[in-house]
Amino acid sequence: MKFNRVWISLVMLATIVLTIFAGIYFLDDRRFFVISLLILMQIFIPFAFLYESRKPPARELVMIAVLVAIAVAGRAAFFMLPQFKPVVAVVIISGVALGGEIGFMVGAMTILVSNIFFGQGPWTPWQMLAMGLIGLLAGALFHHRNKSISRVVLAIFGALVTVVVYGGIMNSAGVLMFQPQPTRDMFLFSFMYGLPFDIVHGVATAVFILLMARPILEKIDRIQTKYGDFRRNS
Amino acid sequence: MFILHPVMLVISFVCAGVYAFLLRGVRVLMRGLVLLLPMMLVAAAMNPLFNHRGVTILTYLPNGNPVTLEAVLYGLAVAGMLATVITWFVAVNAVMTADKIVFLFGRFWPALSLLLSMSLRFVPRMIRQGRVIVVAQKGLGRKPNALKVISILMTWALENSIETANSMTARGYGLRRRTAFHLYKFHRRDVFALGWMITMALVVGVGVALGVNRYRFFPSVQFHALSGASVIVFVSYFALGAVPIILRAKEVLVWKRINSAM
Repeated sequence: MKFNRVWISLVMLATIVLTIFAGIYFLDDRRFFVISLLILMQIFIPFAFLYESRKPPARELVMIAVLVAIAVAGRAAFFMLPQFKPVVAVVIISGVALGGEIGFMVGAMTILVSNIFFGQGPWTPWQMLAMGLIGLLAGALFHHRNKSISRVVLAIFGALVTVVVYGGIMNSAGVLMFQPQPTRDMFLFSFMYGLPFDIVHGVATAVFILLMARPILEKIDRIQTKYGDFRRNS
Repeated sequence: MFILHPVMLVISFVCAGVYAFLLRGVRVLMRGLVLLLPMMLVAAAMNPLFNHRGVTILTYLPNGNPVTLEAVLYGLAVAGMLATVITWFVAVNAVMTADKIVFLFGRFWPALSLLLSMSLRFVPRMIRQGRVIVVAQKGLGRKPNALKVISILMTWALENSIETANSMTARGYGLRRRTAFHLYKFHRRDVFALGWMITMALVVGVGVALGVNRYRFFPSVQFHALSGASVIVFVSYFALGAVPIILRAKEVLVWKRINSAM
């Protein structure tokens, strides 16, 4: 299992590097959009097969589905306030409570599901990647000590990650999607243009983490104690 | 999404527009486009502001960089492309219902597609339970705030999830050779439609690769005159984009005929 995972990651990395070089040499370094889409696919497809090969237990699937539904319902509940959404907060808390892999699943799946309700677009895969990465990061950094982590640290992490990772990826994606010949200035402009929205989004995330992290972490912990940790005995 | 030839853009936009109109009506289509108007403006404005290539200089920016006619045209083409993509997605959102996505996923990734369909099911369930909680709290004489409700909802949902999972395991989740219900079969007409689309896409692809309909923006606008080859590419592109319209129109006609016969 461990070997398998390392293997797939290496192959994934190699194909991505190959794609970038193919883009530079065969497509004249001009087809940014095609290359970026290919790379997105090369991230999602191995991840999906890796996840399937693990044969996740029913408890894990239902737990992820519940977290996704909470996040989507949260987005729906606050739909009248643009950018002020609890989605990132729920994704981060999921990653902290259950680890990076489940954090990634909750993040990517939340975007897919909520866009089924709110409208898909060419931005869907980018949002899925950004949100998944946030869950993954939260799990990698905080999962091993989720009992002692302070809310303030998590909130600061949440705000930062929302602006840097989510904002960074989505602002770049905007340029990559709609500007066939992007320049550095376009990226800079896109970041400047997006920054106010990202800051509101980041502040919202921090607020929601401050308010929700403790109760949700406790609840997930409680359910794991009461019925046994599904990752140990499925 | 990366063909910026004006004629191709117009063909694609018209096909997408007619199809989205047939599916959703004019209001949904207009709302989608109006919502995206600021994004289109930014995309269109970005080019003349940051792209200074092109030979026809219109004016100079305060920082001394030129604004060129070519960059303005290019920006307009980009905005047109954006509008086309958005219009296609208005149609996609109408056509790609959740069950189809789950079916497509389910072939390769049964666990992920199950996860997707469960999440979809849980969303309305959560919203309904949220309302129940609000009513119950009010009945107790409390004033529930959003966070309190989410907290209660979370406990309920997690506790419930255990029951769901146990039930799934009891009914054989994870056993091999379990299939998902679906109504889709691959008929001969599907073979025909798929073959048609692949052929047309190939013609367009080869045409674009050979550059028969190249449209150059920089340094000066330049394009090939209409030739036999480029007309073939345009017609094939239209034949590709019109497929969903023809299918939809046929369904509507058949439906009307059956209704009037009754």
